[in-house]
Amino acid sequence: MSASRRYFLKSVGATLSLPTLHSLLPNSLGVSSALGSTVVDKASPARMVAIGNLLGFQLSSLFPEKAGTDYAMTRLMKPLEPLRKDLTLYRGLDHGVKGGHFAVHSFLTGVLSMDAKGRPDGNISLDQLAAESVRGKTRFSSLTVGSETGIHGGCQMSWTRSGVRVPPIPGPKEVFQKLFIGESMDRVARTRDRNALQGSVLDAIHEDAKRLGGRIDREDREKLDEYLTSVRDVEQQLQLKEQWVEIPKPDAPFEQPENRNMVEDLPLLYDLIALALQTDSTRIATLEIGGDFNPKDLGINKGYHSLSHHGKKQENIDQLLVLEDYQMQQFARFLEKLKGIQDGEGNLLDHTSVLFGSGMGNANSHTNYDLPMILAGGGFEHGAFKQVPMKGPGKVPLCNLFLSVLHQFGIERDSFGTSTGTFA
Amino acid sequence: MKRFGALTCLLASWAGLAFGQDSPGRAAHGDVAMDFVASYCFECHDDLVQKGERRFDELSFPIEDLKGLIAVQEMIDQLNLGEMPPPKADQPSEEERAAAVAALTAEVADVHARLESTGSQTELRRLNEREYLNTLEDLFARRVDTFAPTSKFPRDQTSEHIDTIGDALVTSGFLLDNYFEAADLVVEKALGQQDRPEEKEWSFRDNFYQGQELSFSHKSVYQYRYLCVYEVPNTVNHEGGYAGLEAFKEGVHADGLYEVKVLAHSMHRDSPYDPDIFRMDLSEPFRLGIVSGDATVGELHHPQPIEPQLAEVTVADGEPQWYTMRVWLEKGQQPRFIFPNGMANCRNAFGRIARDYKDQWPKDDPYDGGIVHARRVVLQHGKMPHIRIHEVGIRGPLYDEWPPASQQAVFGDEGFQVDRQEEILHGFAERAFRRPVTKKELKPFLSVAEARREKGHSPRQATLDAIKAMLCSPSFLYLQEAGQERGGKLGPHDLANRLSYFLTASMPDETLRAHADSGAILEPETLRKEMDRLLSDPRSDEFVSGFLDSWLNLRALGDMPPDRNVSAPYFYDDLETAMKEEVTHFFRHLLEEDRPITELLDSDYTFLNKPLAQLYRVPHEFTHETAYQYEKVALPDRRRGGLLGMGAVLTVSANGIETSPVVRGIYLLENIMGTPPPPPPDDVPPLEPDIRGATSIRDQLIKHREMNTCAECHRKIDPPGFALEHYDPIGRWREKYPDEKGRPTGPKIDASGSLPNGKEFRHVMDLKTLLLQRKDSFAHHLAERLLSYGTGRRMEVMDRPDVETIAAETRKEGYGARTLLREVILSDVFLTR
Repeated sequence: MSASRRYFLKSVGATLSLPTLHSLLPNSLGVSSALGSTVVDKASPARMVAIGNLLGFQLSSLFPEKAGTDYAMTRLMKPLEPLRKDLTLYRGLDHGVKGGHFAVHSFLTGVLSMDAKGRPDGNISLDQLAAESVRGKTRFSSLTVGSETGIHGGCQMSWTRSGVRVPPIPGPKEVFQKLFIGESMDRVARTRDRNALQGSVLDAIHEDAKRLGGRIDREDREKLDEYLTSVRDVEQQLQLKEQWVEIPKPDAPFEQPENRNMVEDLPLLYDLIALALQTDSTRIATLEIGGDFNPKDLGINKGYHSLSHHGKKQENIDQLLVLEDYQMQQFARFLEKLKGIQDGEGNLLDHTSVLFGSGMGNANSHTNYDLPMILAGGGFEHGAFKQVPMKGPGKVPLCNLFLSVLHQFGIERDSFGTSTGTFA
Repeated sequence: MKRFGALTCLLASWAGLAFGQDSPGRAAHGDVAMDFVASYCFECHDDLVQKGERRFDELSFPIEDLKGLIAVQEMIDQLNLGEMPPPKADQPSEEERAAAVAALTAEVADVHARLESTGSQTELRRLNEREYLNTLEDLFARRVDTFAPTSKFPRDQTSEHIDTIGDALVTSGFLLDNYFEAADLVVEKALGQQDRPEEKEWSFRDNFYQGQELSFSHKSVYQYRYLCVYEVPNTVNHEGGYAGLEAFKEGVHADGLYEVKVLAHSMHRDSPYDPDIFRMDLSEPFRLGIVSGDATVGELHHPQPIEPQLAEVTVADGEPQWYTMRVWLEKGQQPRFIFPNGMANCRNAFGRIARDYKDQWPKDDPYDGGIVHARRVVLQHGKMPHIRIHEVGIRGPLYDEWPPASQQAVFGDEGFQVDRQEEILHGFAERAFRRPVTKKELKPFLSVAEARREKGHSPRQATLDAIKAMLCSPSFLYLQEAGQERGGKLGPHDLANRLSYFLTASMPDETLRAHADSGAILEPETLRKEMDRLLSDPRSDEFVSGFLDSWLNLRALGDMPPDRNVSAPYFYDDLETAMKEEVTHFFRHLLEEDRPITELLDSDYTFLNKPLAQLYRVPHEFTHETAYQYEKVALPDRRRGGLLGMGAVLTVSANGIETSPVVRGIYLLENIMGTPPPPPPDDVPPLEPDIRGATSIRDQLIKHREMNTCAECHRKIDPPGFALEHYDPIGRWREKYPDEKGRPTGPKIDASGSLPNGKEFRHVMDLKTLLLQRKDSFAHHLAERLLSYGTGRRMEVMDRPDVETIAAETRKEGYGARTLLREVILSDVFLTR
């Protein structure tokens, strides 16, 4: 315990020293002119974080009785009391899917993986769609962190458009290495060579397009312009990729941690995500709290899954609430942390849309409707508990909220997943 | 914003050309609209008043700019809402209002047609994803579906469901980056392996861990001795549908053909339990299939994005026997076993058997609830049908020749030769660009090879890298038809390419290429022969499926999956595939026999496999051998026969859960009758489905049609849609709507109606009779679809005379499908740019 205690303090220490890390932003490394304006297009780019757990929350201890801005803080919301004005709690949002554990993976996609085939974007998740749009602008287009496993595969939150799950990096040690430890010489050389090849290819196809341009008429040239624009786009991306190879990773703010267990590591994982955003190593992160979140590490000798089937037994519910309190506390701590980091004109939380919830509504009955959902930061208007009808004409798909988050992130789209419009 | 600029520009340049001669009808709706606007709008919206910052006195018909379009759109909305003119102003009569809405709507449709116009010219057109993949397979003489190089590509845009339309096939930086990744992957796979890979052998037995869900029971009952497959791959829980080799996570060491031997047998086909538990036909021999798996992509017992079925055998009962299959595996992949005619869901089956038959379990080992225990008890004491594998042997890769076919296709029989580098690249360019290539054009690609040499790569690697560059170039990615004048005849290579991509969705093969090189393809006789030759080539399956996907939007089948409880067979019998196959077999049959296209409207036969025949309740004897083949089946009555009775059409025009006469009506108007309705006004609330029976969908639509502005379109849309109400969301025949609980005891279905010309029908059979009276219009519509698909552009008013000619020629030959296709290919529209 002493070692873990030490790391815990270290990560608290990281909180305190965070503002000085600002100097690690790429544009303060003396290469900003070479990078051009695309890396940090504006002082404070939009970020996005999504946190999900496998078994949901006790809805009766989460949702207040009455909607509005003057809602009474419930037991689970207690840790978030100081952040009341920075977040919105939603009730009644879901994806309209069924399947209990087998549907939890639709949390950020709105679509069951088995129904993905044939959809325009497959079952791409919110974070991966956003990641596509900022490719090349940061070292990592997204950072997926957390439990790889759990009941029936775990949270499985991140999905590419080709229907492949993006596995999370399981422990703080690996996340730390990814963020702060440089690549091997061999790997750097390979990346360089590949970039060089892409450079040569771009030269050749540019030539080919010009030659072709001489043989076609005006109308077709518009189509060819579309291609040339794409070539220029990739050229810029390539320049950025090349520069990321050049730019050393930020200095580590503390020693490399060892992995302990999900419960003890949770604050550290949050800290590393905050650091990743702060150093603009990525703008998008997800955190999956799944199978390796073991109640034993909070002194409860029962399985999380079996507790979640509490059968309305008060003893079970009380123990579950201990687990859930802890998750809420750490989430609150993360938000406080983002809020404490200066970012451009405001703070990091102002520029980060943070989603927190689960693809599981009520784990006792294995339902995937009425999902717990909190949106914090991101420049949205906050402060309320918003409740929408569970069914009927006023029903709002959770994807509508996701679409608003995507818009806030700067992605112009008409729809996402099963959205019917926007909602925030 | 830039986009609007381009559109306006197009509008200015083509409006005169395409729509220069307005028909009388066109001029008339402009007049009607203008009179109305002058009478009721100018009072407040002229240059003097400009209420709401709007003035309409500058408006002139036909509308020529976006400003005008926006104004007209706004007027329609206001009139529909009944908000303008405001109450205190002069009010138009309901008839006037309706007439104005109709005129303004017609004008909007015209403007949209003009804005979308490509001026009857094919645009420089990018290969779509299908064509891209097929072309790669032909270039490298190697299958690519086993590693799916396009899986990360954004999906191609379509236009009216057609996926070959040039102006819809956009290119982005994201896509181009993906082209680079794909080229790298494909070239390394096809050409990268210099030396023959070592042949290896693996054997697996006694240690078959099979994933979290089954592990406890398999361990305690079998000590992991067997690898078992229980259910079809397509389930919700997927715990027993894929049997992978957990001990072979690393997969094979090289791409190639592998021999997979399995010691297996069928278990418990005589299972005594209620057949409803399994939802499978236990009398059928069990089928054991192989799909690829990749442990780095995800769990081996879950479905994976890349898993083409590679082989299949039928497994006998009794003592285990050896079965041998040959499958293509990519490096890192392993064979996984599937059970295509297995039970619908083994998790449910385990649970139900353990519970329903609990008195059969031994006294000292009773069932105490819970799924984990259920699996164990049923496996230990019960008779759970499954395929049981005792041993698996893998050997390979097996290459008959080296260099392999893929390398011979590019390097020649001898393989790569340093001194032939330029020759190799030139030869590849001429194939990849599908035309002769000059030395000058080759130069940029030779420079790539040179640059790579300078970076220290081998001549061979440098050549591979130059080939990757070609695969990202516009010469490869676009069908160019360059150097031709607009409206001019296509040159030999362009024509060969157009024919080849039309009929095989890929590059010309050697014979066709030779006809292009010699110029012979320009002779109608050669063109006709080539058409016949390509149609008898299996590669023309790409035409049949690609065209049907485009014409009937069958690509969207599965976009809105049916309810898993109500429409269970859709999943466990893989009806999605069967439904598509029915249409493809039918269309293929029409082409091969030159049967009349009117059989698409009504026929006394169709093509079914056993599950689909069951869905349709069409009596037909299938043997075990033919159960999953498609047989020509005579139909007992006219409820089936023709597209209107086909599951694919009926499913894709529903939303999986319920049917809507409006959606199906629009589908029929757009795709079968060829008279698409204008888009609905923005402000009309969608119909709220109500299954409580208090108001029927018919009542709701009658109410909807009482609104004058809705009536005009809905009197055309709703009736044909109602004719299909006897078919449920997956095309099963029904006499009554489902009630609240989904039982077939709701209101009786009334499928009657009348077409806009007043002709009445009682049900779909009558509607088919009415459609058969419009053969010419159907031929016309199908000709347009074929031309759009084949030329890569939408048909426009200027193309009408050609389309008329095609339809007329086809009629002379009794509306034969192959005749129609031939007339399309020989038409001016197809032969010109």
